[in-house]
Amino acid sequence: MSFLSPLFLLGLLAAAIPVAIHLIRRENPPRILFGSLRFLKQTTKKLILFQQIQQWLLLLLRAALICLLVFAFARPLFYEGSIAQLLDAEPQSTVLLVDSSLSMQYGERFEQARQQALQALEGMSAGDEAGVVSFAEGTLAVRELTTDIASLRAFINNLPAPGYERVRFFPALRLANDMLEQSRHEQRNVVMISDFQASGMTGSGGGENDAGWMLAPGVSFNGIDVGDERSSNLSLVDVRSPQQLMENVVNQNVVNENAVNESAVNESAVSPDNGAIGPTSPPAAEEQVLARVRSTGSVLQAQGEISLLVNGEPQERQTFAFGDRSEAVLNLPLALDGSGAYTGELVLAGDAFDIDNRWYFTLDVKPKMRILVVNGDPAEDWYDDEAHWFLLALEGMENSPFTATQVTMVQFASAQLDQHDAVVLLNAGSLSNDRRQALENFVTGGGSLLLAPGDRVDAASFNQQLANLTPAQLDEVQVLPGNDYLLIADVDRRHPALRALDVDWSARFQGYWLSDPVADGSVLMRFDSGDPLLLERSVGDGRTMLVTSSLDLSWSNFPLQGLYLPFVHETLTYMIQPPQQQRAWQVGDMVDLTSAFGDGMSELEVTEPDGATVTVYADSPFYRARMPGFLRTANDVNVAVNIQTGAAELAKVDVTLLTDRILNPDTTPEVAAGVRTAQLIAELEQPQRIWWWILLTVLVLFLLEAWIANRTYR
Amino acid sequence: MTQSNTFIDPAVLATLDNLEMRARVVVEGFIAGLHKSPKRGFSVEFTDYRHYYQGDDMRHVDWKLYGRSDKLYIKQYEDETNVRAYILLDSSASMSYASDGMSKLEYGRTLASALAYFIMRQRDAVGLITFDDKIRDYIPAKARQLHLIRILRSLHELTAGTKTNIVRPLTELAMTLKRKSLVILISDMLEDEHASIRTLQQLRAMGNEVIVFHVLDEQELHFNFNESTEFIDMETAESHITSPAAIRNAYLENLNTYLDDCRKRCQTSGVEYCLLNTSQPLDKALASYLARRTRSA
Repeated sequence: MSFLSPLFLLGLLAAAIPVAIHLIRRENPPRILFGSLRFLKQTTKKLILFQQIQQWLLLLLRAALICLLVFAFARPLFYEGSIAQLLDAEPQSTVLLVDSSLSMQYGERFEQARQQALQALEGMSAGDEAGVVSFAEGTLAVRELTTDIASLRAFINNLPAPGYERVRFFPALRLANDMLEQSRHEQRNVVMISDFQASGMTGSGGGENDAGWMLAPGVSFNGIDVGDERSSNLSLVDVRSPQQLMENVVNQNVVNENAVNESAVNESAVSPDNGAIGPTSPPAAEEQVLARVRSTGSVLQAQGEISLLVNGEPQERQTFAFGDRSEAVLNLPLALDGSGAYTGELVLAGDAFDIDNRWYFTLDVKPKMRILVVNGDPAEDWYDDEAHWFLLALEGMENSPFTATQVTMVQFASAQLDQHDAVVLLNAGSLSNDRRQALENFVTGGGSLLLAPGDRVDAASFNQQLANLTPAQLDEVQVLPGNDYLLIADVDRRHPALRALDVDWSARFQGYWLSDPVADGSVLMRFDSGDPLLLERSVGDGRTMLVTSSLDLSWSNFPLQGLYLPFVHETLTYMIQPPQQQRAWQVGDMVDLTSAFGDGMSELEVTEPDGATVTVYADSPFYRARMPGFLRTANDVNVAVNIQTGAAELAKVDVTLLTDRILNPDTTPEVAAGVRTAQLIAELEQPQRIWWWILLTVLVLFLLEAWIANRTYR
Repeated sequence: MTQSNTFIDPAVLATLDNLEMRARVVVEGFIAGLHKSPKRGFSVEFTDYRHYYQGDDMRHVDWKLYGRSDKLYIKQYEDETNVRAYILLDSSASMSYASDGMSKLEYGRTLASALAYFIMRQRDAVGLITFDDKIRDYIPAKARQLHLIRILRSLHELTAGTKTNIVRPLTELAMTLKRKSLVILISDMLEDEHASIRTLQQLRAMGNEVIVFHVLDEQELHFNFNESTEFIDMETAESHITSPAAIRNAYLENLNTYLDDCRKRCQTSGVEYCLLNTSQPLDKALASYLARRTRSA
């Protein structure tokens, strides 16, 4: 037995009061001279005995009353263990998971979550340990399991405001599960305080398979929902915007928007100075931005307004109404003015949750790629002329990104190579030293060279004069007999030039050059005989490619295949324009800023959307996007960062569904906090019920004392 | 019957030191309350006859003589001045008990004074015996006025004695009485009341009129003590600690048994018994005396 307030036991000294009074009064009662004691003495022995018993009984009762009262106030506790053990009965280890994702910015959700977390701490008993995890898509902050409730309280009070990340439950649950494996108590709980977005139920995305995963046996789960019952929100769930356009398309769009610039468009579409051939690009379809808008709250937001801003200037505004649906796809025309880098912004209006109302994108308008096609040995028949098929592939399409200039070997001698992005040598193998040097300078300086020796080139001359440029030395012509042919059997499908050509090739090749790749040459395509068809070599800052077969119909039917045109476009584009860097990112992504670094730059200052600046170093050119908006580098490169898909989806998942999903069947069902509190109170009160019995006894004794004190012998 | 509120409260009487004054106040007040009492002139004895005249009280007609002589003769009475009354006043230690105001002894002294005054006023002879366990003063009965002074002086000088012995003075008195007398005992009779009453019965059997004024204090009668108290017997010095509240009922039961016994014994033997509470006026005592005197006439 223990006492909760043992100091009250000092009150037992008060029990001496009636005894002292009894003794004092016994020794010094008032003395009265009386006429005769005969009537007093005639009282029977029984009466005297009764009196004595009565007095002693009263004394005993009064002392007992005081003792019992003192006993009751000392709060005796009949418990096998100590008080500490009782208070620490079934100590618990609890991990509090506090959702800090974007949706927690809605209303007062995060503050409610903080208060719930603090309240959960208040409900803990001495000896309990707890840890806190702030999470969104991943873990934002962690406080390990500790019994220092005060530090946990400070940690929770200092939790950073929710960011812009989407939420994923399972990584946080896995972390909590792992933390509890190290817990010191058997009673282990996970308390998740969240608005329980339905999108949080998706997989962890980290390569871990969440299907079938659940908490360890014995770990209970309690979900505290701080999401509003009613929510209303408009969200841009998807936006499709062009990332890169060619100049003629833009100009055509400008024509559509403003007819005054028509002449300029025409002039830029065609390059008369260099004798460009091919048709003038027909009017292209208007470029547009597609936006998918959805009402994601529990209450339908019937209508709204969307605006398109380009380079910060309003360009388009539309109002829309969902009608009987909760989603709409909006089409916003995009008008751009010439080549360059643009920033675009879609802005929704009409709801209270502003975080997900903006979508950022960047757009580069590129000038046409200038191609110099050198026809080394023009054929008499157009179908045997490689240049015919090649130029047809370059410009035989609407809105071609190329401007081709065809020259002969004679014209090539005076051609200004630096006015072109790429040079294509068709059946050209014999060059003057001057041209060879100019060509080497051109490639070394960053130019591109495509070699297609064809069936009419001299191998020895080719190998000699282009030795510093060609990816392979030509050996001999290999022509298959009869109707025999080769197929393309091996394609490096991961190569940027061929990535888009991941289809079955049906072209048949009857003749080709046997080749011997140079040391730094790499084979990108091979025949089914194993001989190379396409090779690549980097020279200086430039790049060369070699096609070992002809690009006309003399050795193959390749020009007649549907893949011919994309093959030409992809290889040239690859050679002229470096692989396009990703320009659209999401919050939480590691943004690769490699392309933003210029020559010799070792560090780069990046301005975040909120104006803060960070420095990114060339040896690790990555930046973790933490908020939506435009990242601007010191060299005027813009990178768009948007919130993650589904981050602002306010649709909720029922907590019981999540509980059923993750709770281990071997875990004893978690009782509600209120029920557990009641149980704890009952457990605590059970050994203290004696209080009531003591007080009841005091009352009975009090009544008994009053009755006995007024009782006389009869 | 007289009304008690016409009499002086004993507490007021106690403030009068002069016993004669005190007796006079009591008696005059008592007589004033009687108004025209038909009992006046009772203290007479037959001496001769005279003829009846109109207006005479028919109760005084001698009917036996009328039967023999056929004439109405009225009995001729003569004042009897030699009626002797003896007042026996207990002055034992227990009589000095007073819970509030007048002690039993003081009350008895006042009563004795008043009776003596009253008797002397009737031209009867009155004597006084004061006693505790022995006779402390004896004044023979005489009817002279100066005798009253002696009695009052004796009463005035009387102090409480020790133990009580009622039998002894009564026995000695009985031995000295040569003619019918009125014996008035004023006592609390707390000691051996059986023997005392037996002696009174003997006096009564001798033809004497006996009146017992049983004087008790208010607290002795009702025992209204509350807290635990050590009671000390005033005669024996014996002590007894008790809780009055606890034994009150038993005490009163014992007391009532005792008082009933006293009353019954007195009544069965023709002794006039009058219980007096020292907190009550003395008219009750005088009324009892008057009633007894009337009956004896």
